[in-house]
Amino acid sequence: MLRFITSRTLQSLLALFVVITATFFMIRFVPGGPFTAEKAVTPEILANLEAHYGLNKPLWQQYLDYLGSLARGDLGPSFKYPNRTVNEIIADKLPVSAELGALALAFALALGITLGTCAAVYRNTWIDYTASAFGMIGISVPTFVIGPLLVLLCAIHLGWFNASGWYVPADRVLPALVLGFAYAAPISRLTRGGMLEVLHQDFIRTARAKGVSEFRIVTHHALRGGLLPVVSYLGPAVAGILTGSFVIETIFTIPGIGREFVNSAFNRDYTLVLGTVILYAVLIMALNLVVDIVQAWMNPKVRLEG
Amino acid sequence: MCGWSRERGLPGNGGDHRGPPAGPRVGVRPTLPVLLLAALLAAGCGRRDPAVDAAPGQASAPQLLRLRQRNEPVSLDPASTALPDEFGILRSLLEGLLLPGPNGGPPEPGAALRHEVSADGLVYTFHLRPDGRWSDGRPVTAADFVASARRLLTPATAAPKANVYFAVQNARAFATGAITDFSAVGLRARDERTLVITLEWPNPRFPATVASGPWLPVRTDVVERHGRHWTQPGNFVGNGPFVLAEWRADQRVVVRRNPRWRDAASVRVDEIHFVRFDNGDSEDRAYRAGQIDATMAVPFSKVPAYARERPQELHRLPMIETRYLAFNTRLPALGGSARLALALAIDRERLTERVLQGGQSAAHRFLPPPLRTPESGTGAPHLSFNPAEARRLLAAAGYPGGKGFPRLELSGWTHSQALEAIQQMWRTELGIEVAIVIREAKVHLDALRTGHFEIAFATAIPDVADPAAMLGDFLSGAPLNYPRWSHAGYDAAVQAGDYAKAERHLLEESPIAPLYFNSKVFLLSPRVQGWQEDGLWARVYQGMSVVAPGKR
Repeated sequence: MLRFITSRTLQSLLALFVVITATFFMIRFVPGGPFTAEKAVTPEILANLEAHYGLNKPLWQQYLDYLGSLARGDLGPSFKYPNRTVNEIIADKLPVSAELGALALAFALALGITLGTCAAVYRNTWIDYTASAFGMIGISVPTFVIGPLLVLLCAIHLGWFNASGWYVPADRVLPALVLGFAYAAPISRLTRGGMLEVLHQDFIRTARAKGVSEFRIVTHHALRGGLLPVVSYLGPAVAGILTGSFVIETIFTIPGIGREFVNSAFNRDYTLVLGTVILYAVLIMALNLVVDIVQAWMNPKVRLEG
Repeated sequence: MCGWSRERGLPGNGGDHRGPPAGPRVGVRPTLPVLLLAALLAAGCGRRDPAVDAAPGQASAPQLLRLRQRNEPVSLDPASTALPDEFGILRSLLEGLLLPGPNGGPPEPGAALRHEVSADGLVYTFHLRPDGRWSDGRPVTAADFVASARRLLTPATAAPKANVYFAVQNARAFATGAITDFSAVGLRARDERTLVITLEWPNPRFPATVASGPWLPVRTDVVERHGRHWTQPGNFVGNGPFVLAEWRADQRVVVRRNPRWRDAASVRVDEIHFVRFDNGDSEDRAYRAGQIDATMAVPFSKVPAYARERPQELHRLPMIETRYLAFNTRLPALGGSARLALALAIDRERLTERVLQGGQSAAHRFLPPPLRTPESGTGAPHLSFNPAEARRLLAAAGYPGGKGFPRLELSGWTHSQALEAIQQMWRTELGIEVAIVIREAKVHLDALRTGHFEIAFATAIPDVADPAAMLGDFLSGAPLNYPRWSHAGYDAAVQAGDYAKAERHLLEESPIAPLYFNSKVFLLSPRVQGWQEDGLWARVYQGMSVVAPGKR
């Protein structure tokens, strides 16, 4: 196990290095720069700005400087927000996205697993069809349609919630629901599939023969195996959901990190682009590792090897 | 990685495994999962938290004005900000020597009570108010303005809007590092309350420059004490009618009435919330839900509905902004009279009234109405829609009926429907074809700057309300001279201040084709009174009030 974790960590570090290098150079080759604006700055001012941020040095020198400060855990200053560093921006915004993501994920898991399990247990009944219809709708209708619809209904017509913002606890409800629905749909489909497979295996038949109640069979015997596909889906999904959603955060005006993924690229905020990419890459790698370990625990057929 | 599909989270496999017929039997009754689900949904759609009602303002609460903020301020430092709506926040916290005048009129007294100009128009003397105070109680002095200017012009500060000071003698030389002695720059505090400014050349519109955002003063000692954290609430010291109370990144900036301000009694609003939205539809929904009192823009598609249903809340404000087409004059096909032919073949009324429909007005010349000087009133330069003349000019340029004219690229970063309309007009009137290319904003702007375009959609917004600031973009070799156009007569006319003559050269030579003057169409709650905003987004908050705070 230890050997597996060490080797995977080393592999991840190598991949991370490649990601950082590729991102560093790719964003630099995109036309336009951090100081390109509708009202262009004059050449002498541009020279001052570039000197201020070290952009007048050769690119390889900037790359080495960046790696050096990265080794010290410093993601550098933001080019767009001169009074803030990338570390501060991530520390400020990641918790917001993570909070929304955690709420949405809890909702998605509760709803998705319940629906998927019910659909599998009552296969080919109205329950199954309803759950499957929900799954198809959830996958097909994008959040930028569901979000504004819910706002129109719950915020403007019924007045239950604020239309946007992130000030009071109730502001979490609508975005968490919308984001949760988007994840609940695939989770319910995966759960149904996984459960169907498990429910037909011999050990379930044995349990039934022994007179175990159907409820106990589902909760104590089938779920552990039936949820395997969900667990492998959750690795990247959790990384995605915790690092925020550009669409949800834009619709509901939530000050999360998700918007920065897109806006930093639009702004050519080189260091912030790199910071968000590194954050996402590290999360993906860490969570995939966790998923592998959890799967080994859940499924005796999987063995971790170095 | 972060596209639409990211939160749609497509599953790894279909999820519907085919297996032997399932045998769900007795055990759990179907009602149990249904109940479970219902409980989950009920938990989500609970009753509204009472705190929500408190957030937008209670009946007994002080006067609260909630405005939409488009851009997250990069900083609350006039040396770092560049966008008009960032200066919009700063104007509540800081007060310049002069304030923008109402309805684009001449600037009004601000921190300076009065000013005089020398006979040669080169020296401006500003007399500061005796009762000017910073929010920490210290008097506002002429030395504060000199220190602020010095900080902003220092090359290491890297202020994006340092050019707004370049009218001052030697300011450009100091900003580029050519000279390092600030005493050579034409800014001097004669005594505690007298500021003397010497210009490079006379400019009767100089007061408009002084009223602009980059001329807002800062307390350089506060900047030094707190470093880059000086713009945080608690550290910020200003001389404006409001003080900084809260700044939550990407959420809102809250400013509160400054009890120490020189004329605090005249300020009616107790608190202003600048609420961040980067999406026009979200902003629109928040306005309808009563969360903000003023929007920044109404989505074009919703303008007719608001005009019908809430005409008293829909406002239109002409902006000092001209949208135009830049012709790359280095291309042989765009070298001569073909440019004017293309400019004359555009039906601007049709463009604004039938295509855009967002309150813009047709631009038959380059300078927007607020910048026109009286001397250009008679025989004003005018570019009309004249297809016959356009065809004649195109033939004279060697392309009769559009024959042989190359298929050029018409590029832009937004408003593709306007470009499509122009494409159609040129096809119908001149028989020429252009290809439309829509690029991401910064890619397009970079192409404009580096000259890698053929015909490009562009916008002109001056830093200050001064025709010279707008026409200066097309001087030979100017950095914003995207068409790479050079005309000795034009350069001389701009420098001599004969803007009508300059504009006539600009229209006859057509390195650009003006399309329309932009306007701001926004929603303003009837509860807000005394709204004052000019064509460059500069607001004066002192006269505003909110009649019945709270929800509508």
